[in-house]
Amino acid sequence: MSFIHTLRRVLLSGPLLLALLLVASLQASAAPTSPARVAAQHVASANAAPFNAQAEQLRQMVREGKLAPTVHVLSSLPPTTIIQFPLVPSGIKAAFPNATGLVTIVRGNRDNSVFDTVTVDVQHMPPNITFTIFLIELANKPFGNVEYMADLTTRGDGSGETVFEAITLVAFAMDARNPGTSQDNREGATSGINLEHLGMWFSSLQDAQKVLNNDTLTGTIFDGGNPPLHAGPQAMTDGQTAPVF
Amino acid sequence: MQQLHSRSTDTEARAIGLHLRRPRHARPVLALLVILLLGLLLSACDSGNTNNAAGNTANKATTTTTGGQPTFPTTKPALRTPNFSSEQIAPTVKVLASVAPTLIVQFPLVPASSIKSAFPNATATVTVMQGNPEISVFDTVFVTVQHMPPNVKFTVFFTELSAKPFGHAEYVGDVITRGDGTGDSVFHLIAFVAFAADNRSPTNSADQSGTASGIQLEHVGMWFDGVKSARQVLNNPSIAGTPFDGGNPPLHAGPQAMTDGQTLPVI
Repeated sequence: MSFIHTLRRVLLSGPLLLALLLVASLQASAAPTSPARVAAQHVASANAAPFNAQAEQLRQMVREGKLAPTVHVLSSLPPTTIIQFPLVPSGIKAAFPNATGLVTIVRGNRDNSVFDTVTVDVQHMPPNITFTIFLIELANKPFGNVEYMADLTTRGDGSGETVFEAITLVAFAMDARNPGTSQDNREGATSGINLEHLGMWFSSLQDAQKVLNNDTLTGTIFDGGNPPLHAGPQAMTDGQTAPVF
Repeated sequence: MQQLHSRSTDTEARAIGLHLRRPRHARPVLALLVILLLGLLLSACDSGNTNNAAGNTANKATTTTTGGQPTFPTTKPALRTPNFSSEQIAPTVKVLASVAPTLIVQFPLVPASSIKSAFPNATATVTVMQGNPEISVFDTVFVTVQHMPPNVKFTVFFTELSAKPFGHAEYVGDVITRGDGTGDSVFHLIAFVAFAADNRSPTNSADQSGTASGIQLEHVGMWFDGVKSARQVLNNPSIAGTPFDGGNPPLHAGPQAMTDGQTLPVI
């Protein structure tokens, strides 16, 4: 009787085991589509990333001093080029010594990308202030030739970011009546005057005088529109002699 | 009493019925069915979570919309044509009537002398948009071209003058045409108050907003990015190089291809 009972239990629990196996296999087949699994697969393939000649060339330039030592060339997948460099306080150093800025420049493919994407992130800056961003010939005074790219307005906590999309890595200034040439460490000789530095300025002299508690500050050209010289002093600089891009 | 009797009869019948209807192996079968259903349910939930994050977002949005009972506007916001310039602007410039606080300006580009005979039907439209002139941190510039030389890269510059000698210039971006001669690009940067300056000897000039620092760049032009491609496309090996492209070597760009052709400012 006991044997028959046991046999019957085994026979009846068989389908149960089968069902459990079926559920387990269903779960297993669903698992590869989970983000974690997919991400893991991507990481595995990224570990075998192809050689990025552009990135390596730029790293070599950093080693040779042709690009500033503050420039990071990221290990990006070809054909992309991604560089990062910090901005440090200049005109706001005394009042905001902890201000930081980070510039990230992304270029798709050197031969057929139609612009570069530039992201500027800042922290511990004067809050609720609009700053202008310029590409410049020289990191420090007198700055030389300049191009106005965009603005960045900080939030109440002194942080902020902006993105602009324009030619940056081969930016240059020229008067086509007499364009001249200059030496781009990355490209070689080029037309015009290369703009290889980036800085941030107070867009308003009045803001600068108030924030820095200094009524003697004078106006600068570093903002567009009326009136002339309504911008304030430089706030952040890459601070480098060698080009940062 | 009758009720009691009938209840008791029902209970007995139910007990008997159940006993009769339910075979002895019914409990494991039921358990089996429950497990199967649970399994299928789990699989369905899992695939919903992993396969389509966007779908989840959309579902959330739908839920919020239907659950929150928001009030939607039922009429269009008013359009107005903003004041674009305090100075005279080119007659080809159209300031669109748009919803406040946006400013949207459009103007055409026409074939410059270099491509006029080979591509007389080439057209381009430039659209410059500013979200809120008071606080926007950049302008958005759309360049759309048609009937241009196919599969050719052109550079886009803001210039001081629309025609030779062009004066000061700022390299903005590129447009690469498709096989049918169409193409488009979008740039995000300062456009309406773009200016060139050498801070060692800054000057002033007239801008839409009045007198401003630097030399205003109020025109838009397109150039062949390579003198070689210009020579090939235009079948003219004597075309000389120009400075209208970045990078090495100097003067490797070709002639101007498209111009706004105006004396008065377009931006």
